[in-house]
Amino acid sequence: MANQQTLLSPAELAYLHTSLSLSPPIRPDGRTSKQFRPLTAETGILPGTNGSARVCLADGTEAIVGVKAEIEKTVDLLGGEHYQEYVKSASGAGGGDAEEDRRQARGEWLEMTVEIPGLRDDDAGTVFLAELLREALLADGEFAKKLWINRRFHWRLYLDIILISPPLSYPLPLLSLTTHLALLSTRLPRLKSEGDEDPMFDDDWEASPFLYPRQGAAAGSRPPITLLVVAVGDSILFDPSKEELAVADSALAVSLCEVRTQKADESMEVDSGRELRLVSMRTVDPPSRLTPPGVPSTGNLAASGTFDPSSQKKQQQQRVEEFPQEGVWKAPLGGTRFAVLDSIIQAVLEKGGVADEVLDGLEGVDLS
Amino acid sequence: MADRRRVNGPGSSTLPPVYDDGELNAASRRQRAPDAIRPLCETKPIPTICSYMSYHENLETKTLRLDLKTGVTPSASGSAYLEIEPREGEHGSGMKLTCTVHGPRSLPRSAPFSPYMVLSTHVKFAPFATKQRRGYLRDSSEKDLSTHLETALRGALIADRWPKSGVDIVVTIIEGESTRQDAVERRVEEWDVMNVLGGCITVASAAIADAGIDCVDTVSGGVAALVASKDGNDASIVLDPVALEHESVMAACCVAYLPNRDEVTNLWFKGQLPLSASYNHQSLVSRAVQASRGTHGLISASLSEAIGSTQN
Repeated sequence: MANQQTLLSPAELAYLHTSLSLSPPIRPDGRTSKQFRPLTAETGILPGTNGSARVCLADGTEAIVGVKAEIEKTVDLLGGEHYQEYVKSASGAGGGDAEEDRRQARGEWLEMTVEIPGLRDDDAGTVFLAELLREALLADGEFAKKLWINRRFHWRLYLDIILISPPLSYPLPLLSLTTHLALLSTRLPRLKSEGDEDPMFDDDWEASPFLYPRQGAAAGSRPPITLLVVAVGDSILFDPSKEELAVADSALAVSLCEVRTQKADESMEVDSGRELRLVSMRTVDPPSRLTPPGVPSTGNLAASGTFDPSSQKKQQQQRVEEFPQEGVWKAPLGGTRFAVLDSIIQAVLEKGGVADEVLDGLEGVDLS
Repeated sequence: MADRRRVNGPGSSTLPPVYDDGELNAASRRQRAPDAIRPLCETKPIPTICSYMSYHENLETKTLRLDLKTGVTPSASGSAYLEIEPREGEHGSGMKLTCTVHGPRSLPRSAPFSPYMVLSTHVKFAPFATKQRRGYLRDSSEKDLSTHLETALRGALIADRWPKSGVDIVVTIIEGESTRQDAVERRVEEWDVMNVLGGCITVASAAIADAGIDCVDTVSGGVAALVASKDGNDASIVLDPVALEHESVMAACCVAYLPNRDEVTNLWFKGQLPLSASYNHQSLVSRAVQASRGTHGLISASLSEAIGSTQN
């Protein structure tokens, strides 16, 4: 993220920062502080995958996600059968063998790659993005259990995220929403075999169940979404564009997943029963720390044309005090107060807030 | 056709032997109070060549040649070694980390102009640091850690005092916290990463102080976790968690904190909080901040001790 250069002058940065700190903030593209950029989305675009999605943001950035699944033999790192016996004898009562085994579901069964044009795939920023998305997906521990077939076999899921367009802004929300849709449309073949046999599958694709079931009480957790939120002055902005990130005081990536409660099924109204749960968050290094600082015109020789020793001295003093001057850009220094981070989290988790709006929007996407 | 000319190894991969060394009984689990952080055994700036020189010049012993001859001392501008006490119990291993700071030095000619110091961080596990051997190339978790560390340090450094220069911060984890039990209780590794990051932040901060790079404050790392008790019903928040000491970890949080400014430079939270409102993310973060305050006290004490020893 740090190596994304912004071509804005210090004066432009100061102007942006001031207008974004107003209440209500004035954003360059005229959105309100909690408004997302409009997007178009479709699923099931890649016939060769178990699930796929494409999301295109209004600014022209576009991402494709393909999910592919393979069967893999579960390798017990601790020596196969003996270990199973050991676990059983250690657990004593041994009640619910399947439960015991299910707990062995591992996060490494999910493989995730992110490809961003212009960046190497082993670039630290790309790896950070992939780990962020992966961590949110695995945080509730439910996902890995979905990949469990029986004691000897499991699914290995490959989730490949490709950003087609050049990264015009930090692509985190786009990639996260695309991943969410792709996982919702993912289907795995229906299992015909029983117990610990070699797995046999129904070859009727129409009969294959979704990885995340839609209806019924089983429709528990949903794949997470990750929102990027920045704080500029006192205002909190969702889905920042590149220019807004360039002046952000702090940026936070918040992942949350939606848990549907039982109550929702009874009242037949799904939207009211939505509960948002925080699964992970990370601070993201805002690129504003690398923006060039402004020079006040009192200390600028080129502007005044004359060399005035008194003003020079004044500027030196100012530099010592590090007193921010109105209209002169200075990159943010130090960290963020927790109160600011907390207000960001509250704004994300707020009922009927942005996250609800985004999830409602994604619900409208036709899953094929 | 099989290769008959050579003596081949077994066809399938082999497994390292795992010894069953005793039950993880309740006694070896948790003996600390929930809000006690483990003492840092040792955190000291490694004397570099420069500090040796000043040290010996002050003593007027003039044994410079001897020290320079060794050549094993890294020519880093600042370095630190951190050792965290092993957990209670007989077969624990603590965490051992070293950090070297190179620079600030001029950027290569090909690098674009930067009005700030360019910070690059590398976190690497030694191949023998964990149960699973780590390769020579950095894997994704190591790269992820280095990005976290960069975010944590960038907020603390006053980068505009060194335009057109670069600083490399290299953290090596010599020994991780994994023991054999880790392999038995599978799911703890992902939680130990948080502890590793906390250690990395603390040791890097001490090394930066040793290198004499200006910071707004000494940043320190702290970890707190929400753990379930043995029966699985009660949850409590512990500082500086060791995943093995608990039945299960539900959520964990690592912060990089500037105590004198009361600011957070890096926040990493993951896990699932129970739906009951008794524990929420705020309490977890504030406990992590408390842990990092504790760490800060320890590193500032050892730093002032190091300064005292070089000045005498």
